[in-house]
Amino acid sequence: MSKRPSSGRKALSFLGANSVPIMFILIVGICIPLSGFSPAFLLNEIITRMGRNIFLILSLLIPIMAGMGLNFGMTLGAMAGEIALIFVSDWQIWGIPGIILAMILSIPISVVLGIMCGKILNASRGREMITSYIISFFTNGVYQLLVLYMMGSIIPIIHSSIKLPRGYGIRQTVGLLNMRQSLDNVLALKIGGVKIPIMTFIVIAVMCLVIIWFRRTKLGQDMRAVGQDMEVARDAGINVERTRIISIVISTVLAGFGMIIYLQNMGDMATYSAHSQIGMFCIAALLVGGASVDRASIGNVFLGVVLFHLMFILAPTAGAKITGDTMIGEYFRVFISYGVITVALIMYETKKRKEKAGMGQLLEAAQREEESAHA
Amino acid sequence: MSEMTSTRPSLGDRLRNLYFSFGLPRLIIAGMLVALLIAAPLVGANFWMQITNVINRFSWNGVLVLAMVPMVHSGCGLNFGLPLGIISGLLGSTLSLELGFTGPMSFLMAIVLSTPFALILGAGYGWLLNKIKGGEMMIATYVGFSSVSFMCMMWLLLPYHKPDMVWGYAGTGLRTTISLEGYYDQVLAKFLQIRIGDLVIPTGSLLFFALLAFLMWAFLHTKTGTAMTAVGSNPTFARAAGINVDKMRMLSVVMSTWLAAIGILVYQQGFGFIQLYMAPFNMALPAVSAILIGGATVNKASIMNVVIGTILFQGIVTMTPTVMNNAIHMDISEVLRMVVSNGMILYALTRKTEVRRA
Amino acid sequence: MRKTLFRVCTIVLLLVLAAVMLVIGRGHTIYFDNKNLEVDGQKYEAVRRINVNVNGEQVAKLSKKERGMATCMGQSFQFEIEVIREKNGPSEFLTFDLALPYNMDGVVVNLPAMMAGLPQDKWMSEFIPAPVVEEEEEELPTDEFDLGGDL
Repeated sequence: MSKRPSSGRKALSFLGANSVPIMFILIVGICIPLSGFSPAFLLNEIITRMGRNIFLILSLLIPIMAGMGLNFGMTLGAMAGEIALIFVSDWQIWGIPGIILAMILSIPISVVLGIMCGKILNASRGREMITSYIISFFTNGVYQLLVLYMMGSIIPIIHSSIKLPRGYGIRQTVGLLNMRQSLDNVLALKIGGVKIPIMTFIVIAVMCLVIIWFRRTKLGQDMRAVGQDMEVARDAGINVERTRIISIVISTVLAGFGMIIYLQNMGDMATYSAHSQIGMFCIAALLVGGASVDRASIGNVFLGVVLFHLMFILAPTAGAKITGDTMIGEYFRVFISYGVITVALIMYETKKRKEKAGMGQLLEAAQREEESAHA
Repeated sequence: MSEMTSTRPSLGDRLRNLYFSFGLPRLIIAGMLVALLIAAPLVGANFWMQITNVINRFSWNGVLVLAMVPMVHSGCGLNFGLPLGIISGLLGSTLSLELGFTGPMSFLMAIVLSTPFALILGAGYGWLLNKIKGGEMMIATYVGFSSVSFMCMMWLLLPYHKPDMVWGYAGTGLRTTISLEGYYDQVLAKFLQIRIGDLVIPTGSLLFFALLAFLMWAFLHTKTGTAMTAVGSNPTFARAAGINVDKMRMLSVVMSTWLAAIGILVYQQGFGFIQLYMAPFNMALPAVSAILIGGATVNKASIMNVVIGTILFQGIVTMTPTVMNNAIHMDISEVLRMVVSNGMILYALTRKTEVRRA
Repeated sequence: MRKTLFRVCTIVLLLVLAAVMLVIGRGHTIYFDNKNLEVDGQKYEAVRRINVNVNGEQVAKLSKKERGMATCMGQSFQFEIEVIREKNGPSEFLTFDLALPYNMDGVVVNLPAMMAGLPQDKWMSEFIPAPVVEEEEEELPTDEFDLGGDL
């Protein structure tokens, strides 16, 4: 029945499946010479950003595996990490111990938020992505209620230097000087102007290994089964609802850790805007790496970070060179980020419909065969 | 709402039915609004001015919320891609100003000029949505975002020249906000305006909204309108009845986009400014949550929902800052708005709906 | 049964780890004063020159009435001072290992009194920063997507 596809068709389908990363490689390829940045500069920037962002993006892999789609609710984990960091920096715990403490503190917050998110997502079956998207906004409101109003008034904050002048609520920027780059600097290597944060990459490597190991555990297999087909998984005896919630909880906890790693590199925290941007850009980066709504691998993460952030750095200057206006470049990179997500979502939906239609046709063909066999 | 049964339902039953169909969150929100209204004079806020504010904001936002109705009826879900229609409106209004129209004429021309943009963008959007049945809402959101950021680049590049629209220094590139004084600022609001002491009613705007609402209601009762509703509530039946599902959906999207364009024009005349760049970015969510607060669901929306929802939503949004500020000297209005409007959407998204369409 | 035990153990482990981090990560800023101090009627005079070394690096060179500072993580602080009492005179090297009180962010150490061997509470005090008068910060955060900001 099936003929072996010619190499031409194979090449075409490869292009089709990976159109987003290929498009990005082209854009980046054009922009690099255009922008005039030196390779050393770009290399340094990319390595820094990889160390900063990869952990966050890794947190997106588990929900995709469990069939929950793109977890816009990773913002919740980011918020948990930020809350933990506010406390840790208020208590004047510095350096690596501070980071570890913040991670430990973020766990209970992430778990609670993750369970809430998971339960709401279970109630909105079939619309998980838009629901997680709205959840992130909703929780942002709760976060602001907590951080802008309750911290300093109901929740004791020792140092007035991180509070707003009015006496309660946290400032718009919280300096994390005493933790700045602590993880990065543990084993930093400097080669010809490029700083490589070895420890951070070791942490990332460990996380990747954990993810690979996790896929083979019973829980991991359960999640993949749920991701493939919920009804079949349910028939096989898997508690589908619970598995889905667990996937979101894990993702949220990891996002919390990732946000802490991100912020220790940045050195200060934009209290109210850091998490909302992070969610969107991490998802865009993952999609740029060739992932789709139902399939993502570690390779996608690495490729995506490099391509997306290259584009991010290059766009403003390239835009300025082309049109003479830097704002164009900045809007361009926002446009590309959203555009990439839009394209990926469209591709996913059309593929889903084609598969359904294809299945319908297969069913039809099978029925016809049966009828002709019986005739 | 509840069917008429053969025996008269007792008062208790009727109340209970009302409670269930209205839903707990809505009752909470309505309760909040009533509380705010009562509290307003008690904390020193000018009651009639508050009422005026609420009515004003209702008049600005009503049409935008109305734009949700066609797509909900045809089963395309909540129109998170409202920014596309808003962009058509922005293109129309900036073009109208650029071509030199002033006064009430500029408003009329803005409507006229927005229409082709709305039709084209709506058609493209509708074609896209037809290809991705089932994932409309998520993709609509991102289509909306992408187009807003795309237009951000365009506002800088398109050849506009009118001095009060472009940046003074550079001479090209539109400003972020453009004042409508001398153009169509308040053009509907001032029409037949009624003043009773502190209470100012923008009759023109309300009449305009009522006209569009009436037209929508009338349309939904025509043959095409009922076909559209059939497509949304039962697509298999609709197809069996010979209705072209794709065409109906496309029509609903175009209508929604056009209404959104008109909606932003009405908003602009009330607000007094044209807001470009990232302003349309977050305009879908308030409209979505307003109609949900009014009683709509992902596949059911009526004109009543629009009216009630907009009043409740705008009421909360307008009154919370002033009342809260006067009462507890803490401005939690922004945060409250976020929690309430998004919470409402979450509530709607987690309701069980009927069988998903094929 | 084993599962619950496992979970309880993990939680306990995390709590212990957190407690340990709380202690070893506590950051302090130490301020060294080469100033005259009167304690219980006894005057302790500042010395001509004190050089303060922490971990082999010179952190402060203090003439009379000067103050230097160093940061420290953890509850104990080791440092070495080089005391020069007369111009071109001999240097006296002394090492000290202080136990820092947990609740103080900034600790002021009066070196002359410390060198005289007084009990810790006589020459160690808390550093209270002068209240900073800040201008009003502008608008509270909105929920617009900012374009600015790096990633």
